[in-house]
Amino acid sequence: MSALLTTKGVTVRFGGLTAVDNVDLAVPEGVIHGVIGPNGAGKTTFFNAITGLAQISDGAIGFAGADITRQPTYRRARMGMRRTFQSVQLLPQLTVLENVLIGMHDQIRDNVFTSLFRPSGRNPEEEEGQQRVIETLRFLGIGETLFKRPVELSFAQQRFVEIARALVAKPRILMLDEPAAGLSPPEVVGLNTLLRRICTESGITILLVEHVLSLVLDVSQRITVLENGRVIAEGTPAEVASDARVKAAYLGDEHA
Amino acid sequence: MDALTLVVAGLANGSLYALVALGLVLIYKTQDVVNFAHGEVLMIGAFIGYIVFQLLGWSYPIALVIAVIACGVLGALIERIAFRPLSDQHHITLAMVTVGLSFALKGAARIPFGQDIYTFPPLFKDTPPIIVGTAVISPQSLVTIGVAVLLAAAMFVFFRSTTMGKQMRATQQNLMGARLVGINTGRIFSATWALACVAGGAAGVLAAPVSLLYPDMGANFLLKGFAAAVLGGFESVPGAIVGGLLIGVIEMLFGGYVSTAFQHLSAFVIIIIVLFIRPQGLFGRKAVHRV
Amino acid sequence: MRSSIHRWFAPILLVALLLLPLSTDRYVQYILNLVLVYVVIAIGLNLLLGYAGQFAFAHAALMGIGAYTAALLIYRLHWSFWIALPAAGIVATIIGSLGALPALRMKRVYLALVTLAFAELIQWVLIHWKELTLGTDGVKVAAPELFGWSFKGDHRMYYLLLAITVVLYVIGKRIVESRLGRSFVAIRENEIVAQCNGINIAFTKGVVFGLSAFYAGIGGAMFAITLGFIVPDGFGMFQLVLHFSIVVIGGLISMYGSVLGAIVLTTLPELLRGFQSVQEMIFGVLLIIFVIFMPFGLAGLGKKKGILPDEILSRNWRDLKKKHEASLAAGSGDKVKE
Repeated sequence: MSALLTTKGVTVRFGGLTAVDNVDLAVPEGVIHGVIGPNGAGKTTFFNAITGLAQISDGAIGFAGADITRQPTYRRARMGMRRTFQSVQLLPQLTVLENVLIGMHDQIRDNVFTSLFRPSGRNPEEEEGQQRVIETLRFLGIGETLFKRPVELSFAQQRFVEIARALVAKPRILMLDEPAAGLSPPEVVGLNTLLRRICTESGITILLVEHVLSLVLDVSQRITVLENGRVIAEGTPAEVASDARVKAAYLGDEHA
Repeated sequence: MDALTLVVAGLANGSLYALVALGLVLIYKTQDVVNFAHGEVLMIGAFIGYIVFQLLGWSYPIALVIAVIACGVLGALIERIAFRPLSDQHHITLAMVTVGLSFALKGAARIPFGQDIYTFPPLFKDTPPIIVGTAVISPQSLVTIGVAVLLAAAMFVFFRSTTMGKQMRATQQNLMGARLVGINTGRIFSATWALACVAGGAAGVLAAPVSLLYPDMGANFLLKGFAAAVLGGFESVPGAIVGGLLIGVIEMLFGGYVSTAFQHLSAFVIIIIVLFIRPQGLFGRKAVHRV
Repeated sequence: MRSSIHRWFAPILLVALLLLPLSTDRYVQYILNLVLVYVVIAIGLNLLLGYAGQFAFAHAALMGIGAYTAALLIYRLHWSFWIALPAAGIVATIIGSLGALPALRMKRVYLALVTLAFAELIQWVLIHWKELTLGTDGVKVAAPELFGWSFKGDHRMYYLLLAITVVLYVIGKRIVESRLGRSFVAIRENEIVAQCNGINIAFTKGVVFGLSAFYAGIGGAMFAITLGFIVPDGFGMFQLVLHFSIVVIGGLISMYGSVLGAIVLTTLPELLRGFQSVQEMIFGVLLIIFVIFMPFGLAGLGKKKGILPDEILSRNWRDLKKKHEASLAAGSGDKVKE
């Protein structure tokens, strides 16, 4: 199976600091791949490089068979790459419905002009979008939040809305940046189950950056470990968990 | 008209733009807000100068000092009352507040001064212009340039050598860090606004003898000062000053050699061209995207 | 089925609006006409400043461009209003779209400068290009005609303005309740999220600048025929102050806000007639107060108090909400997540 997402020698430099250093990655389709490392290891910057938000100083990125190194972020998103953020980025003035509909922006192919002249004022594509939003929210167990605004939601619910926004686009790869941060242990377990369901039921590939080891080791099929921007280990959860360098990197960290 | 004459006249105008730009950049660097009311600060300075010099009959230097102090106090008050409570709001909100302030100040000025266009009597009626080489320099120009240079130098010394000045620079570079080190950032903000309005008010009093005084007079200076700040990349005070001087000189040369009708607009045409070629301005750094 | 309130509100309102001129004298009718003009203007500015969060200052100048395009076409070329009107919109759109260029390339701080400078430039052209615009002498604008029937007179003019306003309002509503409208708000709040969801920021900004300019141009043409006479001075800073005040006080990110703001701020100056200085100061103070305490204006206040219905950016959301609430009540399928 050829890889869905590949990075070759990706390097990101800010001024004098090298945040990501020559990172190679190959994520085949339909797996859950974790990226872990201590704080400041460059995980989020790596994510940003893949999604196009951070400029790479060196290296190449391939996605779905195409070289996307020069593609702007919105093109990458339209090719099926969706992500969530470390701190939840929902639009506070809008309801969950509107927030998640934004995830479907490039798929509601309405032409504003044709919909203007339809007498009934109905737009079938928009309605289809609404249905998909409802289904996605129900799948994530937050169906009743449809008309609520972010301020009315619990933190876990907000996180899930953000995941819904990414999922509703039926992406090829779902990139999650520390989705478990701020969740209580039972919520983390719920997240685990959800991620597995997403992967097996929808066949969506998941790339997961996480600081909470219990989640990542439990749910990933392969793991890449970063430290100071470099890859120090890669393999199955068992291999990585027993790797001496990984243990050393995490020494002093509370999370087990 | 001789080139050198135009250049010196341009430097005089440019000094005014530089002072306005300085004020804009100071506030922007510290609080990430563009003060759209800065033109009105200039206007207030000009009118205070008018009141003191023309109506009260006191001397021009005193008018300058009083206007400058008054504007400084006004600036600190505005910051304390209108901006301190808002410091964490959306940038659009803050910008709107300065826009509203601009309208309010203009409207307020119209009440006493709206019926007429006022003129400041020329300061050097009897002094002949100074001839340096081929340049014919008006004494007023020299005063303007001189005061502006003094003010800029004073600020430079203030920033480099005094404690408060250093604290201001620290706050500009890193707000969080400054707070952690125990700097009273609230006071710094007030001081920044005060300084910015000092510069604006000074520009107003310096502009008064060569400009017509009316409540809307600030708009033109705001635009030119804004343009100067943009040329400087909106990041550095020296850049703003250089930008202001450049605009003043280019304007004059354009007016002298091409056409006076378009003189007013030449500054903007230059700005637009510069920004398209170099969006970060002449002295700015390229924006770094960070998530 | 549509919500019952929604069902009869719009037709009743329409009938009331149609019957309105029967009860007004010329002066009041003139004011109402101005309200309609400013509803259109406000919708345009709200799209740009409210929904898309683009801090641009060219709206009054674009209104002037629309007004002068229509006025000059009618007065000098004797074109019919029915061609001059769309022409005004198109010319304003083309010029206004150029405003998107600085918005894309430069820091957001520069957009204000460039649009301000642009507005000054337009003012200057209107005043000084006398051969074209007749400068400060102004341009007389004859009332439009339709098949020989003239719209001359405030009462007749009203129906023409009402028709244009209603059409543009409905169009505006459909735009904001679509993916385009949502993308505007995404750009306002968080360009990074917008990009990561496939929104082409450059394109979207171009669209909103053009759309806003279109409304400004049409509003300008409406303004020209309402007043019957236009001068360059009318499209400068004071006009801009008025525009900003209307959308901020009426309510940003709201169609109702544009209407409310237009009503309040067109009638208010008439009550404060002859006090232009005080007007401006009051606008300024009101602007500050509203921005700080009521950032979503009168419309936002109305929605919070339940007087005004919500405005959600998705077509037919009311039907959806009814179904949603019904299914929640029936307890089907929507688990409660802790």
